[in-house]
Amino acid sequence: MRPLTEEETKTMFEKLSKYIGENIKLLVDRPDGSYCFRLHNDRVYYMSEKILKLATNISRDKLISVGTCFGKFTKTNKFRLHITALDFLAPYAKFKVWVKPGAEQSYLYGNHVLKSGLGRITENTNQYQGVVVYSMADVPLGFGVAAKTTQECRRVDPMSIVVFHQADIGEFIRSEDTLT
Amino acid sequence: MRRLYVGGLSHTVTQKDLKDRFGKFGAVEDVELRTRKDEEGVPYKTFGYINIDISDADLKKCLTVLNKSKWKGGTLQIEAAKDSFLDRLAQERQDAATQRLLQPAADDKSHKLLDSLDKAGVKNFTMKAAVPGTEVPGHEDWVVSKFGRVLPILQLRGQKGGKSRTLKYDPSKYCHNIRRLDQKTSDEATPITQLTWEVQGGDDDISKKRRGEFPHYKPPKPKKSRTDVVNSHKAAGGASLKPSVTPADQSESVQLTNRSQNGVGLRPAQERRTRFADSDSEEEIRRLVTAQQTSHDALRQGQEEEGGTLEVVGLDYMTKFGQKGGKEEEDYDSADTDEILASRNPPPQLTPTPPSKEKPAVNDTVRNRKTRTEEMKTGKQKVEEETDVTFRKVLSTQDKEDARKPKPSRKIVVETSYAESGSDEDKDHDSADSESSDSDSSDSDYDAMFSNVTHLEISMADLQKLAEVAQQSETTDDDITAAKNQSDPPEPRSAKKGITPEEILASIMGDNSSDDDGPRKKKRKKKCSKKSQLPAFQGTKVMKEMEKQEDEDGFCKDLNSKETKFKHKVTEDQENQGKTEERASEKMKTVASPQALKTVPSVKTTEHEEDSSSATDEDDQPVSVSTPLSSTSSEEDETEDIVHPPALHRDDEEQRVVTEHPLPRAALAPKEEEERQRKANVRRLAAVQQRQKEAEEHKRLIQGALANLDAPAAGAGKHIVFGSDDDDDEEDDEKEQLTVSEPTPLTKTLFQGSQSEDEETDEAAAKNTKKEKLLKSSGRLLFDGSEDEEDGDEDDGDMFDIKPQFEGRAGQKLMELQSRFGTDERFRMDSRFLEEDGDKDETSETKPSRAEDDEALEEERKKNLSILQSVLGSSEQTCSSKTTSKAKKFRDVSALHYDPSREEHAAFETKTEDVKKESKSARRKKREEAQKLPEVSKEIYYDVSGDLKDVFGQTTKDVAEEEEKINWDQVDEEEPKQEETTTLSSVVSDRPTEEEEESSGFKFSFFGDDAEMEITETAAEYKVESIKVSWQQDPRFHDSSSEEEDEDDADEQEEDEEQSSATCSATTSATNAESKQETTSKVDFFFFFHANDSRLTDGPRLFRRVSELEEQREQWEERRSSLRLEYRKKHKDAKRRLVSSLRS
Repeated sequence: MRPLTEEETKTMFEKLSKYIGENIKLLVDRPDGSYCFRLHNDRVYYMSEKILKLATNISRDKLISVGTCFGKFTKTNKFRLHITALDFLAPYAKFKVWVKPGAEQSYLYGNHVLKSGLGRITENTNQYQGVVVYSMADVPLGFGVAAKTTQECRRVDPMSIVVFHQADIGEFIRSEDTLT
Repeated sequence: MRRLYVGGLSHTVTQKDLKDRFGKFGAVEDVELRTRKDEEGVPYKTFGYINIDISDADLKKCLTVLNKSKWKGGTLQIEAAKDSFLDRLAQERQDAATQRLLQPAADDKSHKLLDSLDKAGVKNFTMKAAVPGTEVPGHEDWVVSKFGRVLPILQLRGQKGGKSRTLKYDPSKYCHNIRRLDQKTSDEATPITQLTWEVQGGDDDISKKRRGEFPHYKPPKPKKSRTDVVNSHKAAGGASLKPSVTPADQSESVQLTNRSQNGVGLRPAQERRTRFADSDSEEEIRRLVTAQQTSHDALRQGQEEEGGTLEVVGLDYMTKFGQKGGKEEEDYDSADTDEILASRNPPPQLTPTPPSKEKPAVNDTVRNRKTRTEEMKTGKQKVEEETDVTFRKVLSTQDKEDARKPKPSRKIVVETSYAESGSDEDKDHDSADSESSDSDSSDSDYDAMFSNVTHLEISMADLQKLAEVAQQSETTDDDITAAKNQSDPPEPRSAKKGITPEEILASIMGDNSSDDDGPRKKKRKKKCSKKSQLPAFQGTKVMKEMEKQEDEDGFCKDLNSKETKFKHKVTEDQENQGKTEERASEKMKTVASPQALKTVPSVKTTEHEEDSSSATDEDDQPVSVSTPLSSTSSEEDETEDIVHPPALHRDDEEQRVVTEHPLPRAALAPKEEEERQRKANVRRLAAVQQRQKEAEEHKRLIQGALANLDAPAAGAGKHIVFGSDDDDDEEDDEKEQLTVSEPTPLTKTLFQGSQSEDEETDEAAAKNTKKEKLLKSSGRLLFDGSEDEEDGDEDDGDMFDIKPQFEGRAGQKLMELQSRFGTDERFRMDSRFLEEDGDKDETSETKPSRAEDDEALEEERKKNLSILQSVLGSSEQTCSSKTTSKAKKFRDVSALHYDPSREEHAAFETKTEDVKKESKSARRKKREEAQKLPEVSKEIYYDVSGDLKDVFGQTTKDVAEEEEKINWDQVDEEEPKQEETTTLSSVVSDRPTEEEEESSGFKFSFFGDDAEMEITETAAEYKVESIKVSWQQDPRFHDSSSEEEDEDDADEQEEDEEQSSATCSATTSATNAESKQETTSKVDFFFFFHANDSRLTDGPRLFRRVSELEEQREQWEERRSSLRLEYRKKHKDAKRRLVSSLRS
């Protein structure tokens, strides 16, 4: 477990900023205590200082997970967001997409969101903007990438993809073994 | 006789041959030969049929011998053939004939069956008076179907794959949908009279109902009636009312009910109406549902309008977790009601609209529900409550009507609408009746009523007066109770509306003294208010008690019967005004009162005609008393535009009481009436006086109560929470309590003062007082309880305070220890058990390491933030370390309440004083500043050099010289033309005239040294560049090139120019000197020019010939010849060149 290098921090922040913009600041500089990002097994964990200290007691090879996993670095040093970060990112999300109750399940099975399943969308969403997907009951369901701008979304036919699926809370069950 | 086929014959074979050949075996009867031929007519196949009479043995023999035997070049093939078709045909015919013979036998069989069926009672396959499905006796397979038809049960063969072999089809089981098409043969139906049983006559309610004689009023269920009200209201409102108003109306009515319920809920003594609360809550729920639906619909519509179902929200869209539904709807509702209130703002004469009831209503429902369990008693009460509800609804609608419609001139309306109003009253009265008789009535009453609604108001006023008088005259007891009942409303109103009770009282007093003929509206209003001023609470209880008693005794029944009798009496006089017949009898009563009014206008010497009439009416017909009462109640509400539900309740009860009361009297002989009238008058007068007294007293009481109110309110403000419903309710409660507690002594005195004739009233009074006490005590208890609770809370707070020995880290340990021991007194941990040293050490040890960690983390964070900044590309300030972050805890802004007791909230206060102080000082400062003149520094910086000519002239000269030098240095090996120019310039500059000119400081020579200067300067400038940039033409070179073209002339020209310029400059210098002297000596008269301005003289020279004309001509001629030569030469050259170019 080590702190992130500058490069890594940058890539991660770039990724996170797609979803929460400058609100990353609120994650880094939290008023309720000091929190930090740590890299372990190519995964980035977000944890409080307290847990960080506690985690020092565990040897590296035995440590599976600590804090909240935000995502992992791929072999090509790209950052991939995990669904576990949803709890931290959803409250700060800038661009949101609400999925109709009928399309919820489809999304939670890992499918993209179609126009027909799109209930609501934040205005001025750009193409390829990172979005947080909500149910109509305002329960965050996962991450996605807007395939179309808001304006385009109005026009396209109902079977076209509006939001690309990235991660959803169905992964907690589907990929239980790999999520840490 | 057999028919044989013989094949394989040769075509030469003849019939005779065949006959011969087969004749051995038997007698051949017929031979038939056939030959098949191909297209060309060549026979290829021949065969024959032989009819032969042959025995079996012979046939066998024949077959063995002839079959496959060779005969005439072909092998015979003999087989038995089918019969010829002719034979077959004959056979068939024969068969048919035989069958015809057999037929009659079958007919016989069916006849048998029919006969047997006949025996069983079946005629023409119909069996009368048989229930479908019954078997025909003696025939297992026959069943009676619908209309008495007898049908066979069929055994159908099942399908091959089917389970059962046969299906049994019982037609009786499938006959129920059969219709008879042939109507002629249908049996004549038994008349209904014969068909149904008859209800035997009885005198009780149920039997009456069975006979179809329904009592006239039915208190409908709240939900039903509500919709009815709304509908009818719509109808009444006509086209002016938009459909969108209806939900508002609904909610309004509900609101009104809420309010009523409110009042009820606050009084512990009147918790009987709990059922009502329940219904109300249901209503509310329904309303919520409808509202939700409508809102949903609206939303859906909106969505559909804007691009299908897709919804686009702004960036600031707030997600709401878990709190969807209810709250929003409530909001919506409240908004709705607000709108409603705004929309139905009454005309200015009327008292302000009632405040919205949302908050307390909820509380009340809860409370009522609690109490309901205790109070569920008799169905009658329920009915009562229901009627109350309906009442209120009606009233609310009336209110609306009032608010909307412009007031017509009263008197006319009074007269015209009297009868109608009477009918309205009747309805009220009906309700009362129905209460007592526990009966139902149809909704048509309501509809009819709403048709009259417009007139109702005025007539009600009159009726109110009637009622007043009637009440007073009736019995003191009744009077008092009524008064009390009516007194109730102002208290809640005063609390809600913020109108001081003093005002009301004053108005009332004034009204009392004032005559009746004054402005009616005002009076009415005041009257009701006056009425309402009187103390309350006892009356209802009394009435309730009485009700109970009467109910138990079956008194109601008597009353009912009497009433009905009376009705029958009056019906003859009645004038029908398009009312339904159900209500006719009741109408009569009310109609009677106006009649009395008209006929006996001068019976009494009281202020009001109506009063007197009512009095008489009352005496005559005890039932009519109730009608005015009811009217008063309703009227009150109308005029005030506020429904006082508790008052209403009481009124209703009152009605009942009143109706019950007069009954014994009705039995009295009519002789006594007059006497009683007189008595009543006297009593009434007394009552009026009393009432005045009461009013005064009440005024005082209210004042006192209010004074008391203020004090506890101030004291109770320990915890201030704004906007919480409960608190408001509590306050209301307090108020109510106060008001409740105050009037008790008054009422007591009243009771003492009044000479009660009836024992009942005495009893009632006693009970009243008792009840009051109970109430009081309960109220007290309630209060005490709450106070106790508060105290308890405080105690609890103390309990949960952290004791000093448990503070800090060591304290925690101690706490843990203590918790291990529990609350055992023996092991109480004191501060002695604190371990101090180790702890301190620990902290000291841990501190440095932690500090390091913190630093590292801090650094990391900073780094992260910097990276973040770079990522985001924005420079945002970081909220620095924990010190600041501690203060910045999350706070829900929406849930923020201003609490003056908290120090942090001082930020929300606007500091007016400070601002003032500051402003004063600031003002003073400003004034001072204004007085001060802006300081100007006395240092003035201006440095004008004495001789500009030195500055400029010298510099130019120097520059020129320098440039010359530079020129000489640099342009040595350049073209000789340059040298020429430079030398020229140098020559020019060196001229003594020039020197003089420069010394004078004024140069008007444009051609002279200036030009040269330019030349030199430009040369100097461009020389540097010319070295580097070869392609760029040297400007100086360019200059010279122009000279180069006419090289010959140039020299001359230059010379000329020089000469001219020299002369020019000389003259100018001379004049300059002169002018200078002049300018110095003389005063300037002109702005631009002096008197003898040198410029005026010099200027023209620039465009005037300087030299003499002849000289010039000479010069020109000289030049001309040379120029001509040159031109010719050039021309020749050009020609030659052109020719050469053409040639080439």
